[in-house]
Amino acid sequence: MSASMRYAPGAAGRQSALIPAGILVLVLMPLLLMPLAAIFVFAFRGGLPEFWRALSDADAQFALRFSLLIAFATAIINAALGTFAAYVLSKYRFPGKETLGIVVNLPVAIPTVVVGTSLLLLWGPIGLLGQMLPADLQPMFTPVGVLLAHLFVTFPYMLGVIKPLLDELEVTYEEAAFTIGATRWQTFRYVILPALRGGLFTGALLTFAHSLGEFGATVMVSGNLRLRTQTAPLYIFAQFEAGNIANANAVAAVLAVLSFVIFFFLLRFTGRRARGGAKA
Amino acid sequence: MSIVLKNLSKRFGTLVVVDRVSLDVTDSELFVLLGTSGSGKSTILRLIAGLIQPDDGRIMLHGRDVTMLPPQKRGTGFVFQNYSIFRHMSVADNIEFGLKIRRLSRLERVRKRDELLELVGMAGLGNRFADQLSGGQQQRVALARALAYEPGVLLLDEPFGALDVKTRSQLRRSLKEVQQKFSVTAILVTHDQDEAFELGDRIGVLERGRLLEIEHPEKLYAEPRTLFVATFLGAGTVLVGRTRDDQAHFGHLVLPIPQDVPHEDGTPVQVLFRPEQVSLTEEEPEDKSIVLGKGSVVEHSFTGALRRLRLRLPQLSATRQIAPVPPFGEQGILVDAVVPAERKITQSEFWVSLHGWRILQPPEPQLLVFDQGERGISTLMMAKKIAQQLDAQATLFSVTRDQDELESLRDRLNRRQQEADLAGAEVRVAIGKDPVEQLAVEQNSALYSMLLLAPQAKKRRSFARRNGRPERRRLRRISRLGTILVKVLDSAHLPVVVVKKERDAIRRILICTRGGEPGKTDVRVGGRLARRLKASVTLLYITEDSTKPGPIAHSHLERAALTLRSLDVPVETRIRTAKTPARGILAESREGDYDLIVVGRHEAESRSVFGRDDVTLQVLVGADRPVLVVPTTL
Repeated sequence: MSASMRYAPGAAGRQSALIPAGILVLVLMPLLLMPLAAIFVFAFRGGLPEFWRALSDADAQFALRFSLLIAFATAIINAALGTFAAYVLSKYRFPGKETLGIVVNLPVAIPTVVVGTSLLLLWGPIGLLGQMLPADLQPMFTPVGVLLAHLFVTFPYMLGVIKPLLDELEVTYEEAAFTIGATRWQTFRYVILPALRGGLFTGALLTFAHSLGEFGATVMVSGNLRLRTQTAPLYIFAQFEAGNIANANAVAAVLAVLSFVIFFFLLRFTGRRARGGAKA
Repeated sequence: MSIVLKNLSKRFGTLVVVDRVSLDVTDSELFVLLGTSGSGKSTILRLIAGLIQPDDGRIMLHGRDVTMLPPQKRGTGFVFQNYSIFRHMSVADNIEFGLKIRRLSRLERVRKRDELLELVGMAGLGNRFADQLSGGQQQRVALARALAYEPGVLLLDEPFGALDVKTRSQLRRSLKEVQQKFSVTAILVTHDQDEAFELGDRIGVLERGRLLEIEHPEKLYAEPRTLFVATFLGAGTVLVGRTRDDQAHFGHLVLPIPQDVPHEDGTPVQVLFRPEQVSLTEEEPEDKSIVLGKGSVVEHSFTGALRRLRLRLPQLSATRQIAPVPPFGEQGILVDAVVPAERKITQSEFWVSLHGWRILQPPEPQLLVFDQGERGISTLMMAKKIAQQLDAQATLFSVTRDQDELESLRDRLNRRQQEADLAGAEVRVAIGKDPVEQLAVEQNSALYSMLLLAPQAKKRRSFARRNGRPERRRLRRISRLGTILVKVLDSAHLPVVVVKKERDAIRRILICTRGGEPGKTDVRVGGRLARRLKASVTLLYITEDSTKPGPIAHSHLERAALTLRSLDVPVETRIRTAKTPARGILAESREGDYDLIVVGRHEAESRSVFGRDDVTLQVLVGADRPVLVVPTTL
């Protein structure tokens, strides 16, 4: 039915589709499209050489590398942690399971600045746990602190992708493996994990992307120390405040491109899986 | 013995799913567990595989006690109804999975895998994935995968349930071949009778978690012992008559009771005859002893090789029918028969006689509990205690007028059942205007041993004043007990236990005889119940004359006591003086703190020596403990 409407003969049909689409684009122009475009316009206003100069700044180089490293580490650690959490929440029954299920999803709902504050209150030099640690093991205002913040903030993404997959996977697959003689670990490794492959990829990309852009919690726990804990978003903010708009724009453009690439992969991958599912 | 189960039990919450199942499966046998959904058959299989833990009992596989072992250590092959082929592995990898885990060399794996693929008819398809295979093919792979590591036993959980008829019959043949080739001991679970007959070396029939019978298919069909098996496997007519002088009486039809069927005079006895055991003749047969009567054809269908006929015969006295289920309120007996198709049916009436039959074992005690989902749960609590004492099963039965209320009523009954911890009871809800009528239908649908219900007292109402005094008193009593209860008492075929308040257990029973009324049936029914409950009995005789009870009372009590002693029931006798029988009975029941009062259903108009009133209703109104009413029809 929708097909017949789309290809309805006569100018009236086409016109009526053009008008709302046009309005939508007009509304989105100042909201989404123009800001994105602005980044690139400003980044390349001084020409390519100026863009390269801004990027080769030592602080910019560090911030980008540090951000990628943290995002990578966060994705790896949360892939394991999130899968484990999903497995426990999906396959076991225990008292307090409902509550735990809500708690692990809380990071989505809490403002990231609050996350940063709470981490400081726990691990900071005068925090509940932090004051027990010797001075050279203090996690706050170090890369470890940044990692802790990112793990916290991005924890639900992996879980959110994996748990529905595990819930759908019928228990008889595991039972079949058990009767065949596979241990719990072997069953997980050879039967469950392969069934989660797609989810792991999607979840890791999501985690990576969110970690790359994380600002609120990072700004609290990192101390924004250049060449030590400054991530790319923090660098952009700092440079902007200092008036080095060109430097900020160059790194912002790189971040934007990275996000586009990740987004493209996510779309392609989930799209293919959806089509595959429809075929089966 | 490859598989030995000893007293295996499993409960889910209060629901008993597997109830003390014991079973021996011999080497290379293909054993079929047959039952309806919810009978616990799959649970037994999962218990054997170790996928769930039993609450009680032991499991031995090839002489090894595996009860506490995890599934990995049991060496079973399991085939699931949904195939459960690992989707990201090829067919070959699926089959090799168990071999890889057992660290077999690659060469060995490939050899075995190819051999198995060949055997299950999947040669050359090793590179395929599950989504490239049909259901039947997937199940073949599942079978190969379960056999690859040569398990000690093969467990198949409705393996053909999700397949179409043609694939199913092909797979059945393959399974039998493969199972024989491997000579692996196998248990197959199914609800499909044909499948059970075709595949099973032996069949075990399960009902509500109990293993009723284990037999070879042919014997199971021809000589079932229980009503459930008789009606679950194949068609046939089941009649209930009475035992008298070691013979089964169904009206004028008298059949011998075989030695191996325990029987007692006066107890119900069931006979089964299959359609092919029924002869239809135009003339009355010479041998009158096997003639059921002259019947008229009510249904007639042609099935190719055979003609199926259903005939209606005149009612046989003191006989009722369980199968085929008779329509309510219809008199007569329905008999199914088959004749070869070449015999043309031109008449509408035939002489019906039997050339074969089977006397069934006396039924397991079964309680029918009428509960409308209101008020307290005393009846359910009492039912639970009696069920425990008798090792009986219980059915919770309720009636609603309204189709829409069906589910909510069912939910309510389930909740009440849990509240009363009446584990394993079946809940049945019927739709109908008249609860009494529905209850009568339900009483006929199975062989219940007693009916439990509570009085449904309504608020007092003034009844028509025009009635005479005794009649008014009677109406007042009825209003205090509820019209349903009184109607049920008058129409029941079963002993009826009226529960107002439950007792912890039934240890002391008061059987009431009264002046001039021997109440033979009451004594027999009460006595049999006392024996099964391991309770003691006090026989009570009420007299008006305080000075001299008279020789009648003594001889009457003596005869009744003798009957009870012959049942090995501890007996006491007591004579009491009272103004009316009911008062005497009630006073004695309170003083002796009995757990159950047994009275007959004595009509108000019955020829009693004194107290022209309805003693039964008087006792029911006055009693503060359960009362068992023995119907006059017993």
